[in-house]
Order: sequence, then structure tokens, then C-alpha cells
Amino acid sequence: MMLKLGVFELTDCGGCALNILFLYEKLFDLLEFYEIKEFHMASSIKEHDTLDVAIVTGSVSTQRDLNLLHYARNHSKYLIALGTCATHGDVQASVEGKIREKLEKVYGTRANPMKALDSTPIVQHVAVDYALPGCPYDKDEIYQVLMNLAKGVEPPTKDYPVCVECKLNEYECVLVKRGIPCLGPITLGGCNAVCIKSQLGCIGCRGPLPKEANPASEFEILKELGYDEEYIRRKFKTFARGELRW
Amino acid sequence: MSIEIEAFTRVEGNGGAEIIIENGEVKDVKVKIFEGPRFFELLTLGRHYWDVPDLEARICAICYLSHSVASVLGIERAFGVEVPEEIMLLRELGLLGELIESHALHLYLLVAPDLFGYADAIRMASKHGEIVKEGLTIKAFGNYIREVIGGREIHGINVKPGGFGRYPTIEELERMEMQSEALLKLARRAVGIFANQEYLGAKAEHYVAVNGYLYGDELIADDGEHFDYFKCIEEKTLPYSFAKQSRYKGEVFMVGALPRVILKYEMLTPMARHLYEEYKEKLAQGYVSLNNLAQAIELVYALERTKEIARALLDKGFEGENVPIEPKEGEGIGYVEAPRGVLVHHYRIDEKGNIAYSNIITPTAFNHAIMELSLYEEAKKRYGSSDEMTFLQKLEETVRAFDPCISCSVHVVRL
Repeated sequence: MMLKLGVFELTDCGGCALNILFLYEKLFDLLEFYEIKEFHMASSIKEHDTLDVAIVTGSVSTQRDLNLLHYARNHSKYLIALGTCATHGDVQASVEGKIREKLEKVYGTRANPMKALDSTPIVQHVAVDYALPGCPYDKDEIYQVLMNLAKGVEPPTKDYPVCVECKLNEYECVLVKRGIPCLGPITLGGCNAVCIKSQLGCIGCRGPLPKEANPASEFEILKELGYDEEYIRRKFKTFARGELRW
Repeated sequence: MSIEIEAFTRVEGNGGAEIIIENGEVKDVKVKIFEGPRFFELLTLGRHYWDVPDLEARICAICYLSHSVASVLGIERAFGVEVPEEIMLLRELGLLGELIESHALHLYLLVAPDLFGYADAIRMASKHGEIVKEGLTIKAFGNYIREVIGGREIHGINVKPGGFGRYPTIEELERMEMQSEALLKLARRAVGIFANQEYLGAKAEHYVAVNGYLYGDELIADDGEHFDYFKCIEEKTLPYSFAKQSRYKGEVFMVGALPRVILKYEMLTPMARHLYEEYKEKLAQGYVSLNNLAQAIELVYALERTKEIARALLDKGFEGENVPIEPKEGEGIGYVEAPRGVLVHHYRIDEKGNIAYSNIITPTAFNHAIMELSLYEEAKKRYGSSDEMTFLQKLEETVRAFDPCISCSVHVVRL
């Protein structure tokens, strides 16, 4: 039996939907098990149907986003929040100020005819079955989760920091050795430490570790390296809003 | 009464249109960009310059590297920093990879189903699998370049002010040289496929592009003008859209592949230029759907140029060292040709190296007015003479020709 899949995009950069297409041949493997009922970036087909799996990307930034999210939740058995916009709000949620003030700065008016909202992650509005962060997420992770669901296996979750994958790759620690601000110790792994491969610091795009993170200690280390508090505060909240406290 | 296109499909981001009918005639069309605003300029204000290109990359996934490079160019100009030729060539290589990835995605996965009569590339693959596969192969190669130069397929952070985090290896450059040669044949075939598309949409009153082929220091227009964006382009806000509309000297204009090949054909590589000459008269018709043919010609250009640059870097060798930057007060604009047209990043930076002013204008925002005009003309031509399904289908095809990137377009600000 084919499973029915819907991909719903709220406000984001398009990358999370695009990354599904970047699965290439593996996408066709998935299509052995899934029938796409809604995926507006890739298809003109839109069938109103009850779904087995709904993938929702992006953050809730308009009333339309919120309605679409509720539609997806009410019409699906499993809902996957995909990407850091969906799980943590991503960069647009870290822009400070109330929506009317922001609209005034950008559009020169406080009027809000298009019903913009202050940007929030979808996990704040509905219950989700799986939350896969990443800006962008690791495409093999969504492939595995969809395959597992198709085969009735409970998908595993990750709970280790980026540092684990950095060590496994034997990259030199940019934080300790070169004093580069790196959020690897407090950021959820799963990206294979891709930014440290470029000899640059982790910018925290997968959001904070769900447990055992020690942002206070990271904060102190960065302060000792000479970075000012405002700089560190902004760096911490870029992808995770106020979640990382110290 | 009015007819709604609830949401454009096979485009990036969320947008739709309203076609207003009065007395049995199309009176007006509104292109509604309802993707939520993302406030990128506000996000970058007060941020340290070093982190800004990584944030700006998040504006768009399909063309993240164009945003990184435009951001880096704006920052370097603000500081008066010049980088050696090899760094510029590597950046260009990244931009070419992005053009290859983006055009292949658009042409093969989003537009081709229209030409072959399918709802999407997945359904098209059952009968025309080889074409879809060719598209995916070209696209994967573009992504390979993005991964090497940019740090990963989407939102890499390797492009930095003054240079790169990591420089490519000899083997990676050799692979680029070899693979671009091998894929040229496929891209040439694409030109034949997309040359047959019907004429849709309006003709632009003007074309605007960056003065270099993929990056530059000013804009050019078809009337011979050389200018900074704020001198000749005006933006206005609309009550029904999060994207603004702009006019060039008060007139509707277009940015993208079609304006590029027409304004800059002399910079094209040999095979691409030959193809341009072959279709020159057709392209000169100016209908916006010809943008697809121009993109196919650019695929050939990008593959030839990738080969050229990879070879030049291999012959010449490169240092792989970044230019050191001392923050100081300054102002700079980065002009880049993103795959779908002119992209502007404009910054003022304070003496500590933090962003004090930021303005970004993306190609889809530049094209918003011509997109609306195109839908209007197409709707006027077809209303009443075709069934509603065909009518709406042709309007969607018209929008698709711009390869709109709606997510990019919704945060334009002048502070």
C-alpha cells in the first residue's frame, strides 16, 4: 500500500523543500513507498486527502501559515517538523521587535492587510511527531525517517553535539586551537560538522542540544576569548531565539 | 468578479494572483506575494560584518551563494579591500555552479512538465525519464561546485570577506573541468528543447543587468545607461503584497537570463555565443517566456566557463590565502547576477565593523512589476477564448518563466 505524503511550505527560504529534491535517485526510492499528494514547489497536483505523513517546513509568519499548519495537522497521521524554521523559528524568529514596528520599518506603514505575525516555530502551535532541525537539515536524515516510517520502524533521534562528529572527522578544534567562536559544543549534531570542515566555527544552525548543553560555560569561554556580551548573545539566539540561556 | 490563482505551483515560495474581470473583460491583475516577511535587513543591523554573509545566505536556498558573494562584495567595497584575481575566479566558479544548479532545476523539473504536458517531473519521468535524469545530472554537478566552493549544497558558510574558509583541492578542480566538458552535450540538447516554447507574457520596456557577466560594480540598461541602483530605480510598497515593485526611470523592466544574454552576448563563451547568434532574432522578440531559452543558452555558457576557470586555476596555481581585513567606517554595494537576475546588497558599516545600514533588492522584487504586466497581457489575450483550466495553466506558465523566487523577494527595506 502506498503511503500518502504532503509537503507544506510555510515561510522560509525554500531550502527544506528543495533539499528533498536534492535526494536525486533516493527520491525515486522513496516514491516506491510514497505517493505525493501536495508539494507545491515540485508539482501542480494538489489533492485534498487524508495524509499518512505531512512534512511541514518554515516558520509561522502569517495567518495563512497558521491555517495551513492546522490543515496539515488535522489531515495527517504523522507530522514531521522539518528544518530549523519549523523546529526553532530560525533566523526570522530572532529579529527583535513587534510585528507592527517591523512592518513600519520595512514597508513604511503599521497597517497589516496581509496578516503578518511575529515569526514562531511550528512546534509552538501544534503537536509534532518528529522534529528534524538543520538549516538546512541533513537530507539523509529525512530519507531515513521516511523509510523507517514506511517500514513501520520507529526512527531514531540524535542527542549529541556537533563536537562528536567533528572529533570523528579528526578536524582540528577551531575554538580551542584558533580562538574562532564555534557553537559546536552546544549545538545538536547531525550535520557531520560541515562548517568545521571549512575551518570555520559552527554557527548553531541545528539549534541547541536538547539536554546537557552548557551555554553558560560556552558564554564564559567566548568572553575570555575577547568577544563582547552582545555579540555572544546575538550569536546564541540567531537560530534558537531565546532558548539558550546562561 | 475575479478569478484567483490560489497559489502558484512549481515555483519557489508562496504567491498567487487575482485576475479582475469587469463587463466580460480583464481589467487588472494583482500578483500577491503572501510569503511571510523575513526582515533580513533588520536581522543584519548591528551584526559584525564577518557573520553577515552567513545570515544573508539564508534569504534563499536556490541561490544562497549569490547572496553570500553579493554580501561579501558589498562588505569588501565598504572597507576598500581588493582581493587577488584567483579569489574572484573561485567566487565566479561558485556563482557558475549556482547558475547550473538553479537553471537545471527550473528548466528540467519545473518548466519541462509544461512542454511535455505533465503536472510534474515525477510523472513526466515515466515516459521521458532520460530528460529528467539529464536534468538531475546537470543539477547535481552544479551542487557539487556549490558544495566545494560554498561549503555545502545549501547555506554553506565557506565564502567569507577576504577569501574562503577552505580552498578547493587540485582534484576537485580537475573533476569540475572534466565533468563540465562531459555535460556540455546535454546542455546543448536542452537549448533545442526550450527553443520551441510558445510566446507568453509581456515584453519589457527595459532590460537591466550587472555590468560583468555574473558580478560587477554597477548596473547597465538597454538604453546604454551605467548606474547605481538607487539612481534610476524606484521602489513602492503595495497593500496586497509583501514584495515591493520597482520601475526603471519610471518604466517596467526585466532582469534575468533574457536581459543578460541580450545585453552581454559579447561576453558569452564560444559555443554559447554561437547558440545566441542562432536564436538571436527569436530572443529579440522579447516575450518573457523566452527567458527559458536564454537560461538554456546560459547552461552552455556556465559549463564552458566553469571548464575555462578550472583550467586557468590549475595552470596558474593559487596561494589559498585570505586578504586580512581591518574594519573601518565605510559604505559598499555588491552587485551579483543571481540565476534569476540582478541582486543588490548595500551596506554601511561602522568603525567597529558592525552593520549600520542594510538594503537588499532581489531579482524577483525587481521583476514583480513585469510579472504583473505579463499576467495582465496574457489574461487579456486568452480570457473568453479558452476554457478556465487552460487559461489558468497558461497564466502559471507565464509566471514560471521568470523562475520566481518568492521567498527572496519579501524583505526589501530602505532604512
